[in-house]
Amino acid sequence: MWMSCKDYRVTRRQMLAGTGATLLGMSVSDLLANTGKDHKPLAENVILFWNGGGMSHIDTWDPKPGRPTQGEFEPISTTVPGLQISEIFPKLAKQMHHAALIRSIAGTQGAHGRATYNVQTSYLPAGNLIHPGFGSVVVSELPNLGDLPAYISISGSAPRASYLGQQCEAYYIATPGMKDPYLSFPERIAETRGAKRLETLAKFNRRFAANKNDVRLTAGKTSIDDAVELMRSPALEAFEFSKVPQKVLDRYGDTTFGRGALLAKRLVENGVRFVQVNRGGFDTHSNNFEAMASHGEVMDPALASLIEDLADTGMLEKTLVLMVSEFGRTPRVNDNAGRDHWPSVFSCFMAGGGIQGGTVIGSSDQDGGEPKDRPVQVPDIHATLCHALGIDPEKEVMTPLKRPMKLVDDGTAVKELFG
Amino acid sequence: MRLCLVFVTLIGLCPVFSLSAVAAELDAILGQENKQLGVAAQPVPLTDDLSFLRRASVDFIARIPTNDEIQEYMGWPASQRREKLLNKLMAEDRFTDRWTIFFSDMLRLRSSSPGGSALIAYVHKAIDEGMPYDELSRRLISTNGKANVNPEVGFILGDNADPLAMASVTSQVFLGVRMGCAECHDHPFDVWTRHDFYGLAAYFGKTQRVETRFTRVVYTTEADQTSVLWPPEDEAESKDRAPITPRFPIALDEDSSSSFIVRFEALRRKLADKAVREKAEADADNLIDLVDLAAAKAELRIRGELPDATTSEAKRDIRSIDIQKSLYRTSVLREELAAFVTDPRNRYFSRQIVNRIWKELVGRGFVEPVDDFRQDNLPQHPEVMDYLADEFVAHGFDLRWLIREIAMSDVYGRGHAPDQADSIEREELESKFLATPTRRMISEALYDSIVTAGHLFDVKHPAGVNTKVVQETIRVPKKIDAADAEGGVEKINIADLQETTVSNAMPLSQSADSSGRYSLENAIELDFAALLEQKDDDLVIDRMAVMSAEELEAQRMAMTRPRPGMDYTTKVVSRSYDDNPRFNSSLRMASPAPAGHFLRVFGQPERQQLGDFRDDNASMRQALMMFNGRLTNEAARVGSLEPVHEMLMGKKANLDKAIQFVYLEILTRVPTKVEVAESREIIGRDVLSGMEDLRWVLLNCNEFRFLP
Repeated sequence: MWMSCKDYRVTRRQMLAGTGATLLGMSVSDLLANTGKDHKPLAENVILFWNGGGMSHIDTWDPKPGRPTQGEFEPISTTVPGLQISEIFPKLAKQMHHAALIRSIAGTQGAHGRATYNVQTSYLPAGNLIHPGFGSVVVSELPNLGDLPAYISISGSAPRASYLGQQCEAYYIATPGMKDPYLSFPERIAETRGAKRLETLAKFNRRFAANKNDVRLTAGKTSIDDAVELMRSPALEAFEFSKVPQKVLDRYGDTTFGRGALLAKRLVENGVRFVQVNRGGFDTHSNNFEAMASHGEVMDPALASLIEDLADTGMLEKTLVLMVSEFGRTPRVNDNAGRDHWPSVFSCFMAGGGIQGGTVIGSSDQDGGEPKDRPVQVPDIHATLCHALGIDPEKEVMTPLKRPMKLVDDGTAVKELFG
Repeated sequence: MRLCLVFVTLIGLCPVFSLSAVAAELDAILGQENKQLGVAAQPVPLTDDLSFLRRASVDFIARIPTNDEIQEYMGWPASQRREKLLNKLMAEDRFTDRWTIFFSDMLRLRSSSPGGSALIAYVHKAIDEGMPYDELSRRLISTNGKANVNPEVGFILGDNADPLAMASVTSQVFLGVRMGCAECHDHPFDVWTRHDFYGLAAYFGKTQRVETRFTRVVYTTEADQTSVLWPPEDEAESKDRAPITPRFPIALDEDSSSSFIVRFEALRRKLADKAVREKAEADADNLIDLVDLAAAKAELRIRGELPDATTSEAKRDIRSIDIQKSLYRTSVLREELAAFVTDPRNRYFSRQIVNRIWKELVGRGFVEPVDDFRQDNLPQHPEVMDYLADEFVAHGFDLRWLIREIAMSDVYGRGHAPDQADSIEREELESKFLATPTRRMISEALYDSIVTAGHLFDVKHPAGVNTKVVQETIRVPKKIDAADAEGGVEKINIADLQETTVSNAMPLSQSADSSGRYSLENAIELDFAALLEQKDDDLVIDRMAVMSAEELEAQRMAMTRPRPGMDYTTKVVSRSYDDNPRFNSSLRMASPAPAGHFLRVFGQPERQQLGDFRDDNASMRQALMMFNGRLTNEAARVGSLEPVHEMLMGKKANLDKAIQFVYLEILTRVPTKVEVAESREIIGRDVLSGMEDLRWVLLNCNEFRFLP
């Protein structure tokens, strides 16, 4: 499935191998310049935490102390002077010097489906054309870095690759930390027996394709080779936690989410370009504070440990971490102690990948109802990721109906994030 | 036709294998067209009988033949085999299932959209009952009504009854024209203008999609005002925009005297006369039934066993009719559009479907991509295409007829380009329909073929040999003190609480449960008949649709009153079960399958956007799923209840016989001597596990998934 991305990898590598290499008379630097990049990429990988349902911005990244909209949580100080976040993130508060916040995302969509589509693709849903999710854009534009699938979605679904092709779809991991049954032979088939099977299969397929100049038959061979390479890759160990000390699991919280965060770290260390970690349950129309407190208990140790570990190993420099939701929630607390959908202004959390720690972009008004300054449009977030990864957001790709579509729907990168 | 065939066969004048007059004519026209094109290459000979059996079985019923079916087929006289086979396959339920998949792809039907599953069931029924294609299309284009109850309405609900989307869909799906390009600008490579597009969209302009509050019932009806205005939003101020007159942008072929139209009209008249006659007879029967029923009711009433309920029954019926009428007004505009689209003089309509079905069977369309008929993308072999399209109309838009005729032709029956052909020769042979292109089975056929080859439609192991023990987290009701329950206060048992804590600390323990771990290979069948049944609560829902918001709110309050005893807690239990593998057919699954499912990995489309066809590319994930998945591995494993077990372990065990048998079962062919010798080597001493390895390889190899 990553065949075309892998093919691309080969050509890119070959191209970059010789610095004097030319293609159609252009030097490598000319080629790079023509892709619209004006700088060297800052980040190589992305970890996207997708909080489905619409996470309250006021109860997380954008507290409003002293205002009636503040609700039940107190703000707490962080390692960044003057920056406060909600008390549900005590451990993360100690890592905020690595992180940045955007507090002025001006969304336009108030229904889950449309807003999710918008935040995940940068586009608005339009008739019968599906736009690809951002993870697919990344893996279609950047070469693979290791043996593992380039785009992995943990504990839930990711948006479609659509016209970028099947090879840019996410690989799904249902239960982080557990072995994926499809990445190795079934337990009852020993390694030697499996190897023998593969050998015989190769022989049969060779004979079947013999002398046939049929690309439809030879294309299958590459995909088989890729699969075998993956099944034999030492990088597969990243998926399995049986050798991970309990102490480490506990630091991340030993929850599905914590395991997801830990898996995300292990995957980017093994060259996975884009990891999406899904979490639901943020649609808190009632009992918002109870729900957010328990979200905090789960998310705080996971996110804090991830940032800390990535920073310790130096991976944070080239890994962009983003936590975002389809919208925020109403400043007003409703009669069921809940908050309702609120797209007008909401926040996101970012860290790494060249992002200047401690930055806060924009702000909302005193009640967290509208952007006060530096409003950021949804596609600006995608353009920002493109900027970090060295992808040209204006690049056009063709849909099946030969309609050119930009990778990002007219966003502008928030360059202040990068210092 | 049958007589003619016998005649031709008897006097031996039939050099090629054409079983029907139309198919023979089609082959003749193809030969002439190729001659005119100056094609020098000779057609590749017809494929052998076993290959034909495999190809036709997969194309018609989406699975490879079983050993019994192979024996039956080879037992028929050689001259009748192919025709007998096609007739037999067309009579199977699986034929309907398989072609429902074709139409689900073409029409972009999704179980998950409102009324989507009922619509798939409806299309299934239409194919099963032989509903003419023009009638099916007319219904899909024009019906208003309620999701699931009027299944056809699911078609426009799939695009939210959005007029602009429906204009694109109608032109591209039914006419093979990408008029959607003209939504935002005049078509860049064709004649269609923005004005044409808006004129087409205007037929949908008065249709409204309504979703009732609280009950979430979705239906469509006609409004008095249209929502489609001209000029488009980006070209004029809103005060300058006005309703646009609906206009069908394609000129119909004015000549109604064409032979195929005359024959079509004669056929329809005959059918209409027959229907009128039958109805008259049925009415007479009904009258007798009614009289009988009335007499019986009177009798019962006299005996005091039937209350006099007729008045209230009648009232209820009348009310329901009235409500439905006011709710779902029919769309006069869309009926008009449907008549234009399906008019026998509209050649786009018949060409489109002929081109698609031709491609499905032959592997390559006259026009490619199949939904892009335009002036600078002219068809290969237009005469063959038009001959087939016109005959399809003359035969009353009969889909089975079309599928059968194509499959009867030599074009369908030919072998592949010779091995030594280079890519240019191969392309020449395939593009001129002189050789069959390499085609991979569609994902559903691949799935069902593995199930068939592996004897997995039924259990093949005796009970008890696959016993597994699993740790499971289950939901149990919280214990409630009976006295307190009435007051709505619950007492939770302390022991349960501790269990809950334990289970929360553990990941959901589905690791040992194959159905959970391998859920991407499950196939849960939909009950099509049940989906089309009228539900008892329909009337209730209709009534709700006309209720006021206050009434609905009152009803909602009444229903959400807290009910005691509805709370659950979780518990971890150990459970043992017989994990005897068994698989359903994938043909009737809710579709499209979830992302990552076997069917999707092998190319089942998402059926969302236009022009999103089946992806037949190879991918790494396909290899991983086939190497390591439960389906392939269980299919390969030898069960003691399947025939090959006896050949391996029985008193008269015969390894060569067993090898020949599995080759026949899996690849529908006899192995060569070299292959038998090689298989003996692969199998080795431990014949059961060795045979499993051989079967695993045969199921995984390209020869299995690519059609002969």
